[in-house]
Amino acid sequence: MAKYIVHLRYYPGDPLEEIRRTDLDRIAGAHGVEVSFEKMDHRDMVDGKLREETLDWPLEEISQEIITIRSEDEPRFRRAVEAIYDRYRSPRTPYGFWGSSPEGARLAKTVADETGGGW
Amino acid sequence: MKILGLLGSFRKNGNSDILAKEALMGAEEAGAEVELLRLTDHRIEPCQGFGLCLFRKEGCHIKDDVKFIWSKIGEADGILLSGPCYFLEATAVIKQLIDRAWVLAHRGTFRGKYASVMITYGTKGWTSLAMLQPNIFFGILGFKVIHREAVHTQGLGEVVHENQSLQKARRIGLELARAVENQDPTYRSTPGLCPICQDWNIRVLKDRKNVECPTCGVRGRLTVRDGVIDVEFDQRALGEYRFDPEVCYNHFTYHIKPSRDYFMRTKDERKVMVRRYKNYLNPASSIEPKAEE
Repeated sequence: MAKYIVHLRYYPGDPLEEIRRTDLDRIAGAHGVEVSFEKMDHRDMVDGKLREETLDWPLEEISQEIITIRSEDEPRFRRAVEAIYDRYRSPRTPYGFWGSSPEGARLAKTVADETGGGW
Repeated sequence: MKILGLLGSFRKNGNSDILAKEALMGAEEAGAEVELLRLTDHRIEPCQGFGLCLFRKEGCHIKDDVKFIWSKIGEADGILLSGPCYFLEATAVIKQLIDRAWVLAHRGTFRGKYASVMITYGTKGWTSLAMLQPNIFFGILGFKVIHREAVHTQGLGEVVHENQSLQKARRIGLELARAVENQDPTYRSTPGLCPICQDWNIRVLKDRKNVECPTCGVRGRLTVRDGVIDVEFDQRALGEYRFDPEVCYNHFTYHIKPSRDYFMRTKDERKVMVRRYKNYLNPASSIEPKAEE
């Protein structure tokens, strides 16, 4: 298992632009890290609006887009996180890093603090 | 049609009081039924942050006058907010009410009503955040604000010497009533930089590339043409400003409600970790202030 693993959880409306697999592949290639992507959408159309009940629902199972970065190398990992934040901004919530390795979460939060995370 | 004056000032017969009354006279002239409510006459307890208003359907558990204030706002078609600027900002009683407005922001109870704002100030250059609280207040409530005016006056009641200010207040009240009557949200005051809240404050993001309206959260780029500073706001961001109903919905649905699951999952671990802080310095904070002898 990689030393640095971070799950960046973006909820509806969070990312600055649409998260595309091709853009993530480019970032992964540029920084020599592994980047994977998962998208979950459990919203229903109610009266023309997308709605979802999230109270008392496991936070991994609500609608979200998850970018996962894995690396053994701290500088590469850090630069990849910076590139992701530069494009999409950082996750907004304290649970936006849920499931990450402690080292991965620590670095991802540090980068968000240092750069502002695009917010 | 009903216009409610909300006073964010403690001082009776002060400048904010006089201007609010002048504006309400203007609203009456336009056919409105008017009423004045001084916020400092009512008990507004601080929000205790339990989140019951969000996590449970029954709403806020605090027993004070806030529900009465919401009921008064609910009865009105338009709100005229008047108060002084203290230390760059509007008064604390307005912020206290904002903190208690969470439940309304979540439910969108008052969306679509109209408002006008008048802030009095004594010293030029000490007003830079004066519209912040009014903008947040009416933003989270989803009101359409048609005036934001700062009125330069200082000592108790001195505004009566300023005929121009009195006339402006009267016009504000009259136009607010007419806007309600005609359902016309046209902005009447001088526009600001932000096309949503019309404020002039701009925050430079840490990337040093982008700027945003700190109130509305709308991003853009700073431009200088012929020596004139401006902001080119991102068109998509303008459609997704902080107080847009769908953005508010997403905020409560994805940034607040799931926090309970996170809280519960980390509870056992936290129980051990918070022991270190539980009794540290707590006695001092529980000392009751002594009555003056």
